[in-house]
Amino acid sequence: MLFPTIQFAIFFPLVLAGSWLLMPHPRAWKPFITAASYVFYGAAGWTFCILLAGVTLWNQLAAVALARTENERRRSLIVATAIVLDLGALAVFKYYSFFVQQWASVFAHVGLGAPLPLLTIALPVGISFYTFQAISYVIDVKRRHIAPASLIDFAVYLSFFPHLVAGPIVRSREFLPQLAKPRDPRHVAVGSGLSLIALGIIKKVVISDFLAAKLVDPVFAVPQAYKAPDILLAAYGYAAQIYCDFSGYTDMAIGLALLLGFVLPQNFRSPYRATGFRDFWRRWHMSLSRFIRDDLFIPLGGSRGGALLTYRNLMITMVLVGLWHGAAWTFVLWGTYHGIGLVAEHAIGGRLKLPGWLRWLVTFHLVVFGWILFRATSLQNFWEFVSRLGVPGVPTLWSATVLAAIAVTIGFQLLPALPLQRLQFRIERLHPAVLGAGLAVVIALAGATVSSQGVPPFIYFRF
Amino acid sequence: MPAPRDDNLMERFDEPALRRFGARHAIAAVFLAALILILIDGHSVLKAGEEMNPGPGRTIVEAVGRPTSLIAESIPLAGVVHDATAFLNPDVALSGPGFDAAAGGATGEVGEVTPAAFNPATIGGPPQAKRRLGELLVTGDSMSEPLDSDLAGDLIPKGVRVVQDPHIGTGISTTFIVNWAQLSAAQVRADHPNAVVIFIGANDGFPMNAPDGRSVSCCSAQWAAIYANRVRQMANTYRQGGAAHVYWLTLPTPRDPARARISRVVNAAIAVGVAPWAAQVSVINTVPIFTPGGVYRDAMTIDGVPTIVRQSDGIHLNDAGSELLAQVVLAAIRHNFKY
Repeated sequence: MLFPTIQFAIFFPLVLAGSWLLMPHPRAWKPFITAASYVFYGAAGWTFCILLAGVTLWNQLAAVALARTENERRRSLIVATAIVLDLGALAVFKYYSFFVQQWASVFAHVGLGAPLPLLTIALPVGISFYTFQAISYVIDVKRRHIAPASLIDFAVYLSFFPHLVAGPIVRSREFLPQLAKPRDPRHVAVGSGLSLIALGIIKKVVISDFLAAKLVDPVFAVPQAYKAPDILLAAYGYAAQIYCDFSGYTDMAIGLALLLGFVLPQNFRSPYRATGFRDFWRRWHMSLSRFIRDDLFIPLGGSRGGALLTYRNLMITMVLVGLWHGAAWTFVLWGTYHGIGLVAEHAIGGRLKLPGWLRWLVTFHLVVFGWILFRATSLQNFWEFVSRLGVPGVPTLWSATVLAAIAVTIGFQLLPALPLQRLQFRIERLHPAVLGAGLAVVIALAGATVSSQGVPPFIYFRF
Repeated sequence: MPAPRDDNLMERFDEPALRRFGARHAIAAVFLAALILILIDGHSVLKAGEEMNPGPGRTIVEAVGRPTSLIAESIPLAGVVHDATAFLNPDVALSGPGFDAAAGGATGEVGEVTPAAFNPATIGGPPQAKRRLGELLVTGDSMSEPLDSDLAGDLIPKGVRVVQDPHIGTGISTTFIVNWAQLSAAQVRADHPNAVVIFIGANDGFPMNAPDGRSVSCCSAQWAAIYANRVRQMANTYRQGGAAHVYWLTLPTPRDPARARISRVVNAAIAVGVAPWAAQVSVINTVPIFTPGGVYRDAMTIDGVPTIVRQSDGIHLNDAGSELLAQVVLAAIRHNFKY
């Protein structure tokens, strides 16, 4: 179920009312919100719910088993088993077709048949997000950061519908404490919740989908049909589109959770303000960065083993981040590209003194270049796109609305934070009735911009 | 082990400047927003339900949509808001007769057979002279993606103007999103293509109205006849009196047996629908290419390499499948055109 749809508009008010009605009774509320989340998830295909339930059960079993033993070897074995099962599910559903196809091509070139059946397997929506959350839970229990939750608490944590399909990736220690006692119905951040939902709708429906339809999709579909000015604008346009698409989803997820009484972690902090790759990853998809840093980069050794080992760890981490985004060479290369950027930044250190604006300018364009790899449908598509940058011509897709959408998206991130925060506070302090009416107006206006083909899925739903 | 310091900003909503309200305010605000939306756009709920696949979700949305539609109808606000925001809508306004004019077809009249019904190749006639391909329209539902891009990528560098106009989620048997009779006429009016590639049918199987107004469910012979008449109307529009050549692609058999049954009837209806203009409308049968004998398969051998050609939904072609199909379509186009 997509957030900006009629189905969700029917689903959410009912769940919101039911949730607050049952909130004082956790024994009723927890099964209720779990069931609601499974209904939400099941709308994409009820069979996916079986996988979600399976992931919930085996990770909870692992957490309980961890709590029952002090033997460190046994604890490590339990964690390893749970992670292998989690990553195994991810491998089967997300990567099987890709790897089997690669092997089939290699085997065919030496005159052999495909080693495994060539099958297409439906990708359960959000599997990358909830398997990572499950892994983080088991690791947190192993590290004794948290005690194992009850099965129902863990089920609520993993399936909670606002973050289920595209994050933010919530650490168990961030969410489970919020389940310890019922949320206070007298102190709900209604203003923040409603304004974030409205902002998310504007970002997704008005800006992201508009840029996709008018600029990005046509150019990436057939780069050969366009010349440098349009190609360049499409690259900037995609940078704006993917930010609005993903951060729009996150805004809605955080806003919906707030209305239900829960806080989810921050996922974006003006990423196009970054002045380096490291800075970028502290601002872009922050919940993934945290997970990768704590549960992959640091366990690999982090930056504790000297320069070469640090570079190795950075490269392994970023290649896997690329692969996490999708089973395609373009994603692997995108991760590698960011890995090289991080290594280069680390190697240069403070030796190169550049003014802040120049560091920003270079970083921004390097990030935008990386997005071309991310968006390209294949390596051939990437080369076609990049090679057209050298073909001069007149712009055909430049329009005032397209330019304004890109400028607003990137420009807002460069503005000083304080005046924007003040404006945000003013809006959030309005009476809920005013904000409710405002939300309706935003939805109506955004809805009017939707074509007859409806709202396209969020980009990160594929991951 | 102490928990590491986190930069998750979980405390960001604890600002003292933030005003807090009660949960009942949250519920009231959300219901107020819903009420306003019902008043200004209550029809959308029923429309969304009608566009959904059959199932409990659709039943619930339609059950909610009926009263909201009635409320919206009884208040003139919906029309006012619709008119005021119409300028924001990206859809091209369609007009003209829809399918209803041709839906039944079975009037009892015997149509005259014309020479256009005969492909010269099948009667041993001289081949038609090849024309220059100036503009190609590639259209259809989601099946036409990424075929449209593959064809455009090949033809645009050769100087052919390619119009890519896929309409996701649409079908010939359903007019909820778009009426293909009107859309095809609008496409021809706008672009006057001298070749049209159409690949559609993945969403079909909806009930259609017979000439007497009865609703006919898929997939009886009567349903197939209504579908074939709609195909015929569209093919006649696209061929522009013989000025254009149409390449109509049949559906490769999908994985789901229920959808396979529909695709079999759709493919049969396409063959019957375009029959009067075999010289101007070529049917490109994808079944022998991708699913010989009508048996679904995920993969096939291309250039000696076992290759996955279908998407995981078991309906659409993936990039490799689409590229293969594009080569088949280009070969067919080269039979009639030079570029």
